Amino acid sequence: MERSSLVIGGGVAGMAAALMLADGGCQVYLVEREPSIGGWAASFCCKATEVCTKCSVCLVHQKLNEVASHPRISILTNSTVTGITGKIGNFRAEVFQKRRYVSPERCITCGVCAEVCPTEPKAMYLPFPEASPYSYVVDETRCLRLKGESCNLCQERCPTNAIDFRGRSKRQELSVSTIIVATGFEVFDAREIGSLGYRRYPNVLTGLDLERIFNREGSLKLPSNEKEPQKIAFIQCVGSRDENHCYCSQACCKYAMRFARLIKYQNPNTEVSIFYIDLQTAGKGFAEFYEECKESIRFIRGVPVEILEVHSGELEVKFENILEGKVNRETFDLVVLSVGMVPRKDSWDLARILGINLGEYGFFSIQPLDSTETNVEGVFLAGTCQGAKDIPDSIAHGMAAAKRATEVLARCK
Amino acid sequence: MQVRIGIFICDCGKSLSNIDFTKVRERAEKFQDVVYVDLSSSLCLEEGQKNMLSAIREPDINRVVIAGCSSELKENVFGKALEELGLNYNFLSLANIREQCSWTHEGDVTDKALELIRMAANKARFLQPVEKNYIPVNKEVLVVGGGFSGMKSALELSGLGLRTTLLEAVLGGKLGEFESFYGIEATPEEMLSSMRKAVAGDENIKVLTSAEVTKVEGQAGDFTVSIGRGEEKVCQSFGAIIFATGYMTEILPQDFQLKPDVNIISQRKLVEMLQAPGEFERRPRTIGFVLDVSNENSRLPVLSTLNNALAVKKRLGSEVYVFCKSLKVDSEGVEKLYREARERGVVFLKFEERPRISKEDGRVRVEARDLLLGEEVTLLCDFLVAEEKVLPPEGTEALSSMLNIGTDSGGFYQDENVHLYPVASERKGIFFVGGCKGDSDFTRISMDISSAAMSIYKLLCPGKVMVEVEKVKVESERCRACLTCVRVCPHGAIQMVRVDTEKEVAKIYDLACDGCGICAAICPAKAIRFEGYADEQILAEVEAIGESL
Repeated sequence: MERSSLVIGGGVAGMAAALMLADGGCQVYLVEREPSIGGWAASFCCKATEVCTKCSVCLVHQKLNEVASHPRISILTNSTVTGITGKIGNFRAEVFQKRRYVSPERCITCGVCAEVCPTEPKAMYLPFPEASPYSYVVDETRCLRLKGESCNLCQERCPTNAIDFRGRSKRQELSVSTIIVATGFEVFDAREIGSLGYRRYPNVLTGLDLERIFNREGSLKLPSNEKEPQKIAFIQCVGSRDENHCYCSQACCKYAMRFARLIKYQNPNTEVSIFYIDLQTAGKGFAEFYEECKESIRFIRGVPVEILEVHSGELEVKFENILEGKVNRETFDLVVLSVGMVPRKDSWDLARILGINLGEYGFFSIQPLDSTETNVEGVFLAGTCQGAKDIPDSIAHGMAAAKRATEVLARCK
Repeated sequence: MQVRIGIFICDCGKSLSNIDFTKVRERAEKFQDVVYVDLSSSLCLEEGQKNMLSAIREPDINRVVIAGCSSELKENVFGKALEELGLNYNFLSLANIREQCSWTHEGDVTDKALELIRMAANKARFLQPVEKNYIPVNKEVLVVGGGFSGMKSALELSGLGLRTTLLEAVLGGKLGEFESFYGIEATPEEMLSSMRKAVAGDENIKVLTSAEVTKVEGQAGDFTVSIGRGEEKVCQSFGAIIFATGYMTEILPQDFQLKPDVNIISQRKLVEMLQAPGEFERRPRTIGFVLDVSNENSRLPVLSTLNNALAVKKRLGSEVYVFCKSLKVDSEGVEKLYREARERGVVFLKFEERPRISKEDGRVRVEARDLLLGEEVTLLCDFLVAEEKVLPPEGTEALSSMLNIGTDSGGFYQDENVHLYPVASERKGIFFVGGCKGDSDFTRISMDISSAAMSIYKLLCPGKVMVEVEKVKVESERCRACLTCVRVCPHGAIQMVRVDTEKEVAKIYDLACDGCGICAAICPAKAIRFEGYADEQILAEVEAIGESL
């Protein structure tokens, strides 16, 4: 029997699992719904100040390269798993691959297609600078050609004939011994808590917005007037540890503190406050990092419930001052909501296809005593599709899932 | 051998319009030792490479310079192409004229492109071949520590078909400090005993009790470990080692102003009392727990407090109060456990300043300012379960200096380095799992153990590992045996070897070497050569800068 595995999801956990399996001698099919592997973390930014603050984002970029050049990993991007039959040792997976228009084998990422594209924003884009496959992709909702117009500029100008609008989507069947599910999470939609004003006030951002702004620009400006923010508040546990999400998202306290340090480092005059319920300072070296943070960052116990824009760009945050036992109002020019991780809304579809159970909050559920094992033999979980995790834990979980799958493969031999 | 350089320039589909490629080509032909220059538009594509390969064959080129885009992926592709031609893959030098030149500047950058290409060409003149070879590795693994982590490590390795020797004074460990795990039927004691049984019945696992590691020599794939067992001493070879030496806990009197006594007790004492209720003279009415006094960065005390608080509620029905600062809930299921505890009537009081503890009429008095109430709270409890400081086990310091592996600020193994996450150490083939790393909860420990086992499987299972032979190399005639490199190598990859009766020289082990280059930079006798970054190669690059083009 062929030793092969299917890994569903090319984020950090899926990549870690795929690499371990492939290094252990197994043929791996890595199925990713997006045009590039990498997942959420590939769009995050390095949070180093004068020293590395150990945010682990660089590990993701490193893994992207390793996965892409591994001879035993086949990457299927733009693809989803639409059906599974069979059982442990002999699964058959049906994979639907949406057409790509730009051939990753022929694209040399010269960027000419985006240059000539007449739409704004451009319909041709590179998902992110380290994308893998390293190839431009077409935004179907913007491309004039795909809307039925006769534009053909990119195809004409592409120096390597990499663009072909006649490309077809295809279905293929893979035969695999084990399956690792690593479909990841969704970021909590902060609009659900209307009183925080996300998307209503331009200067209310989420942690994810901040990641992307820093990744793109390298520093932070106020969205309302492009000036440097003077007074910033971070609000923890937005979409975590509440009635509907009875778990800690595990990454937010750390990223908030790292961002706070980074902002203070870039502009020492900025005042930064962090509102919290319980600070999660466990983990190697993190208590020391917290001590350092305390010197320059204000930590306030209690999570604000309301944000109002009093004047343009001025946000009044209403919070309970626990130490004095009264309600305070304070203005900030920027508020960052530390949004947590929630299960993917489409988890249910995959659960049905695979026959695996969903737990009470909508993450895939596990067997007692093993955080990678599902109720279906031969199907394992990796990363945040099982529950919230930070990057290092997602990598470890991916490796642990690969270990379980390798045991199965050893038995199948 | 006469150096004959071929330069292959790629204009990326003619998209790099701020470089004059005709001029680049003309000038590049005049660089020293250059015999061939070719201009292509798609060097990274199949057809571009075919052209390149046939060109290399023709004019007998033996060093290749590629001037094009930056891509780690492409370096691999070109290296392989060279190997196909029978050229060493290291005879390749790259100049990035796209991202680091054309894309970064406005206006004409032909001169900068030329400078970059000349740097690469000059370096190419000094490239040496690097061979690849297989090193055989021993597939036996040593696991040190027989607690939960040690036994689980051995069982996981066995599941992957690897044979393990498990070293321990006694099989057991700290799992017994939990009365039960909430939501799990088996008691910790039952879990331990089923693990002991599994270990005993596993033919891949050999258990050596009352034994300890006295010395570790050698490198990944071939460690020589001296094991002391009473008077007896044996030497054995292992391919990899997992340390699962656990942790210690201690109630620190200075944290509580009072010594532990009949009322101020440890978690373990509480568990013993719960298991033998006869110990209680009368049913305790109030039990208090204190957290966040000794530890700021450990999740373990939170886990044992929540589990044991729930057990007290269930078994004794006492009133339970938990004093804490910031509850560490960032582990699988802990928030739920916290909620469950509150629903069952456990009261959590959050303080900013540590509580004052005193004795009063044979009971313990705890005073603290609760933030939510905004008031001073005084509690008289029959028992106070004190938080225990999590400490590294005895012998950690000695072992870490013997292994030449650092410890963090708490004295636990392995200084933090994101690139070594989660369980790998600075030294290839040596892993740390469980409490000896400092912080732990059971989901993470289990996950870490599986990933360590998988990493070892990956390293040892094929029975051999491919390495680049002497990419970093000591030129033995220049070595003065000063030991500087041995001391600075963070990976323990350098050892002294005897060349004759008179002389010892440093030797770098290819498998253990990580290619960081520290030794090559620091060697006072300049006896260490790091191929690709050798002095003459870097100087050649530097000399190419600014020379008139």
